Amino acid sequence: MTGQSTGQSTRQSTWYSTWYSTWHSAWKEQPLSFKLSSIIVVLVLCFGVINPFISYDPVLDVELSRRDLAPSWEYWMGTDGQGRSVALRLFKGIEAFFFPGLIAGLFAAFVGGVLGALCGYFGGWIGRSLSAVLELIDTLPRMVFLVLICTIFPPSILLISIISSVLFIPSIATIIRRKVEALGAEDYILAHVAHGFHPLKIISYHILWLQCRALLTRQMIFVFSYVLFIETALSYLGDYGVQEPYPSWGNMVAQSRISAVAWPWALPALAIIITIAALLAFGDGIARREEEVKR
Amino acid sequence: MSQIGLDHPQQKSAMLNEATIRWSLWLGSKLLRGLSLLCGASFIIYATLRSAPGDMVDLILGLNGTPEMKADLRAEFGLDLNIIEGYGRWAWRALSGDLGISITFMPGEPVLSLAGPAFLVTLSIAVVSLLCSIAVAYGLAILLGPPRPRQAFLLGPIQLLNAAPSFVVAICLAKVINELIQFQLAGGGQIPPSWYPIPTYQKITDSIAPFCFAALSISLGDGLFTDLFNALRAELMSLNESLFISAVRAKGAAVRKHLIKNLIVPTLSVFTARLPLVLSAVVIVEYIFTLDGSGYLLLQAAKNRDVPVVVGVSLFFIFAVIVMNLILDLVKALVDPREVAKGD
Amino acid sequence: MSEQTLVDVQDLVIEFDTPKGRVRVVDGVSFSVSPGEVLGILGESGSGKTMSTQAILGLIGGYPGVMGGQINLNDQGVTYELLKDLPSFISERRGQPEKNERAWRKHRYAQMKKLWGRAITSIFQNPRRSLDPLMTVGQQVKESIQARESHKDALERLNDQAQTEEALEWLAKVQMVDPARVYHSYPHELSGGMCQRAMIAVALACKPSILVADEPTTGLDATVRAQIVHLLQDLIKAEQCAMLYITHDIREMLYLADRVIVMRHGKVLEQVSANDLKEHALERHEYTQVLLDAAGMIGAHDE
Repeated sequence: MTGQSTGQSTRQSTWYSTWYSTWHSAWKEQPLSFKLSSIIVVLVLCFGVINPFISYDPVLDVELSRRDLAPSWEYWMGTDGQGRSVALRLFKGIEAFFFPGLIAGLFAAFVGGVLGALCGYFGGWIGRSLSAVLELIDTLPRMVFLVLICTIFPPSILLISIISSVLFIPSIATIIRRKVEALGAEDYILAHVAHGFHPLKIISYHILWLQCRALLTRQMIFVFSYVLFIETALSYLGDYGVQEPYPSWGNMVAQSRISAVAWPWALPALAIIITIAALLAFGDGIARREEEVKR
Repeated sequence: MSQIGLDHPQQKSAMLNEATIRWSLWLGSKLLRGLSLLCGASFIIYATLRSAPGDMVDLILGLNGTPEMKADLRAEFGLDLNIIEGYGRWAWRALSGDLGISITFMPGEPVLSLAGPAFLVTLSIAVVSLLCSIAVAYGLAILLGPPRPRQAFLLGPIQLLNAAPSFVVAICLAKVINELIQFQLAGGGQIPPSWYPIPTYQKITDSIAPFCFAALSISLGDGLFTDLFNALRAELMSLNESLFISAVRAKGAAVRKHLIKNLIVPTLSVFTARLPLVLSAVVIVEYIFTLDGSGYLLLQAAKNRDVPVVVGVSLFFIFAVIVMNLILDLVKALVDPREVAKGD
Repeated sequence: MSEQTLVDVQDLVIEFDTPKGRVRVVDGVSFSVSPGEVLGILGESGSGKTMSTQAILGLIGGYPGVMGGQINLNDQGVTYELLKDLPSFISERRGQPEKNERAWRKHRYAQMKKLWGRAITSIFQNPRRSLDPLMTVGQQVKESIQARESHKDALERLNDQAQTEEALEWLAKVQMVDPARVYHSYPHELSGGMCQRAMIAVALACKPSILVADEPTTGLDATVRAQIVHLLQDLIKAEQCAMLYITHDIREMLYLADRVIVMRHGKVLEQVSANDLKEHALERHEYTQVLLDAAGMIGAHDE
């Protein structure tokens, strides 16, 4: 009796040690692309969180005597045409898309997940009319509609991110709806219904949390990367996004039009490419891993 | 037994009838859906217009609008009526080809004659870049066959780089071309080519070069190529291992015909899924290469707050997406009889 | 190999790579089939019976696949040694045999191209998935007639009209209720049993000298299964075609087969005539007795 209980106590472990060991073993078998991309994603996340605590005055930073400097120890990504440090502006530019992207991603994943689950689980005329509305939103060309919104309303990056998350809700809801419809035919979900579980519990816990969390995370990351894309694109165009002198990766790239040297625009361009690639690879990796675990 | 011929008239006509009914039902439902989508999407645009803060007419015309212009604008957008009636009048005018008149960007010019030709340019860039990437992806998928560890070293970096947004690719491409021309000018002292891209921003329509650059940067950006490649390759692999292809092999017939026919539907699905994204990408890329397409028109008009032009171009985009989807559905149904049988 | 055997398999070895390492799924299997004979291969799932026949057909998928042995196929008096070149595709690396699967597969396809259909053909477990979903059933039967005719001289070939008529005849021969209608139907419009009949028509229209039937009745209803088995029995006799019949159902086996081999864990346990299996059940291998017992055959016979 005593032996049995000690055996159990050694097997029992704290939640964090289990978490650590599973993630440690999982980390080791991941492909190189996933490791690299998750490092970059974590870096962007850290930079984004500490960003508001670091003050930066873009006007005071102007110093024409040190313009177009090559990378050095002091300005280790060089300076741009107005003598501002490219590295600092690159770091500060994260702020332009970080919180809007986070808000848009969470909002789209939450609303899309709930709507998709409702459509898939209940079907009937409620599901059909909901999916008709969603399909309607899906026909709107995203970029064009955003430009239209910016023409009519006073443009702000928050408005842009909310609208783009609304434009992404249909595709997320469709993915979740398909998944829920496929799951609804599975015997164990029917068994839960037969056991008398509350439908809300089945939808929120058994379907959305246990089965769709990887899908939703991936879609959230996708929306985040889209907001990054749209923010940089609009800031590049110069009328709707972040305006000079405040830094954004987009309006830094726009310096390619006037810049005599490469680093003020090539480095932010590289940063956009690497960040988006890493985000997408990270999302794919999460979804792939979840599938492997299920198998 | 051999009396049962194919040309038994009664049977044949019965089968034909049944097929015709099924087909016309399918086509009708698809058309109805397309029409309702068009109505709904244009209503969303109209509702957005109506919900603009303040008086829309003042917002559009600013301080220099004459009373007649204001009255015209009110009539055009049905601003005096309630939202449903106003939409009805606006939509009716739009359907009969009257999309209004440009106010600030190109004053006096009808929107239809601005947006129509420009949209053809946009559509051709989108279709050319989609077709090019499908052709290359298809060829590579067949050439490379099933994934092997050694290919990952080559394909991995390509797939990562392909995630770059198309406008960044376009900027880099334009900059490189620009530098090359500058270099050439410094050396030989020749006149710059007519498609000299950035930063001159002169309108050039007579050259094919910027068109090709735009199509190239769209094919290389936004993960378009790798998405297509991955989808086609996965489909080809699952087809190659499917039972019916084995069965065709085992009876000694040619496999290629079956493979090609079965690849059409997945290819079209990727096409359908990708078209809206490609159309949005064209908007910025056109702007970068100063191509005279509807993306350039849209952004210039938006810069000048020319609402009728922006709305007209948006309607064109919506219409194009719906019509293209209808055409793709039709082709899919012609290839795959299960599409019609499934119904809606 | 004598002139009298159609297929002769000697010491066939098939291996696969799994996450747990290399697994030998077929381990030294030998058997042969004579013209007009029905050889049954009996075994539970995972016993390597399907793999052995896929190896004869040259349709094996996966890595590394066939690793050793001999397969001789006799077609109209000419004997083809199918695995003769196999050793040249296998090399040693880090103490483990490695195979150039891609090159080997290409080589096998080139080799089998003249034999598929004419010498050997196959019907599969899942009839719905073994017909091309985008082509009418009649077209698919006609396609195998075309493939067969393409081996003949130009003068002897049937014309298009005759081919269509023959395809219709084949659909009638497999007892389709309305051949003309089925001719124009797509596979998704037919039931599973009808798809399997269509598949039999497709396979036999090639006029093969040996037909490989890989669990053709699995997944069908009991009544439909009986119909398919009877149909196969009749058609094989009428066409004088040999058959390699794979199943885990011992009753079907006793009804159809002339000779039976019992396989387990990739090895042949025993080879007996169907009569011996019926009459002298208690003298059989232990495992065979278990199979017979599970089907309720031993007790029934003892009484």
